[in-house]
Amino acid sequence: MSDELVFMMGQFAAKFPTDRLYAKNHMWAQPRTVDGVAGFDFGFSAYAVRLLQDVYFLEWSVDAGTPLREKQTLGNIESKKAESELYAPLTGRLTEFNSVLLKDPTPINVDAYGEGRLFHMTGDGSNLLTPEQYQDHLAAAWKIAERTIKGQMND
Amino acid sequence: MARKLTVVVSQGQSANPAKRKLEEDIVAGLLFERGVEVTVVPHLYDLTPDGTGMLCLQSIPGDMVVLSWLYSRGTFWTLDRNGIRGREGRVMLINEAEEEDEDEEAAADEKQRVLASRDRPNRTIWCLDLKARNDAKPFLDEVVRIRDEQTVQTVSLGGLLGGLSIVTPPTPAAPRIESQPVAAPIVPLQPTIIADDGARRWYPVIDYSRCTNCMECIDFCLFGVYGVDKVDTILVEQPDNCRKGCPACSRVCPENAIIFPQHKTPAIAGSPDGAAGAFKIDLSKLFGAPDALEQAVLERDVELVAVGRDAVGMEIGLPKRQTAAEAVGPKDDLDKLMDSLDDLDL
Repeated sequence: MSDELVFMMGQFAAKFPTDRLYAKNHMWAQPRTVDGVAGFDFGFSAYAVRLLQDVYFLEWSVDAGTPLREKQTLGNIESKKAESELYAPLTGRLTEFNSVLLKDPTPINVDAYGEGRLFHMTGDGSNLLTPEQYQDHLAAAWKIAERTIKGQMND
Repeated sequence: MARKLTVVVSQGQSANPAKRKLEEDIVAGLLFERGVEVTVVPHLYDLTPDGTGMLCLQSIPGDMVVLSWLYSRGTFWTLDRNGIRGREGRVMLINEAEEEDEDEEAAADEKQRVLASRDRPNRTIWCLDLKARNDAKPFLDEVVRIRDEQTVQTVSLGGLLGGLSIVTPPTPAAPRIESQPVAAPIVPLQPTIIADDGARRWYPVIDYSRCTNCMECIDFCLFGVYGVDKVDTILVEQPDNCRKGCPACSRVCPENAIIFPQHKTPAIAGSPDGAAGAFKIDLSKLFGAPDALEQAVLERDVELVAVGRDAVGMEIGLPKRQTAAEAVGPKDDLDKLMDSLDDLDL
């Protein structure tokens, strides 16, 4: 793998390969052209996987081929630490899901930047972040995440 | 002794070790119970109408208990749609978030429900929600209670109590078989296990105890999911035409009779109240959950695009934001003075 950036989540070093872009909702985005159409593969960043920990269940609430707007609900996820809805990282068309993960989601934990690939989307990626921009985004996001986690723990 | 009670355990979709362990503990516990036969099937809702799992369930002749990761209404009416019909058995072990509002049911008006005009076989199906408890014992106790109750005659009081049957409790002193000296040790029966093919499904399930056959759903759905039977009763005719994740017909149903057992909103999934996942942290905000207005706009766009029209996003028909002045209340004298000063053309 190429170079990577590191962001410290407490004692945990979350690593981000610099060969791809990132979305604000903590997915990586790697450009890939399918049948002549430019698009991106998406998966969870190490930051998201660290927050989730072991993934038990993944469900998509849309079919492949569906046009989506950024932030539209895509599905949901259950893990050791959390349950969450998942949202579209950009506006475009979701062309393919990695269906292997429906039966066994463990590649998300084992190989987040490879076999843990979630889906492929075509669309305008101009809002995606460079690894450096994502680092800056994380610095702010991590403060909120810490507050959210501690706040909910104390409820 | 009555014929055997079939207990069906419908496995969840999640690999959560706690959930898997609960299923295994229940199956293991039931294998040592007399008068009980265990069948394990994949997630009930995902079973195809002509698949092994559904055929197996259809072949079960008598009373049965079904444990699944669905609200009990979702389980009961999913079975019903697949021709596995009976009377809904009264379950004592309930999901606390699912407590039925008896007042609401009693106050229900005289509307004609589809259920009243349908024949049902004279057998009972008890549906237990595996989300109701975290350990196997309450489920095992409930199955034993049902098994024992099954051997006691039930007396129906007809319409007097809204069709509920009064059940005479079994004599409490009945000795447990295990405590008696027995000639042969209890040999656990092997459960029938149906393998999972992993495919997920998405379709509505109609609760005919609520449905009034008003046809709102068949008018609203643009994908040909609904149809009518020979006597013009609504039914889910083409479940696989349904748009994955779309619960819109459930929202338009005036009787809340349409269940999407897998929907995240408990009321749509078959419960009148919220439940699952209360012990988990909700990371939705961190993963970019839109606010209420954004959510409404996105949902509207989905429906527009689905019927071949263009998404309009935030551009059309948004509620006008209240101005700060309106939020503060009626104008006072000072405000009027300021307004009149503003109006002066200086």
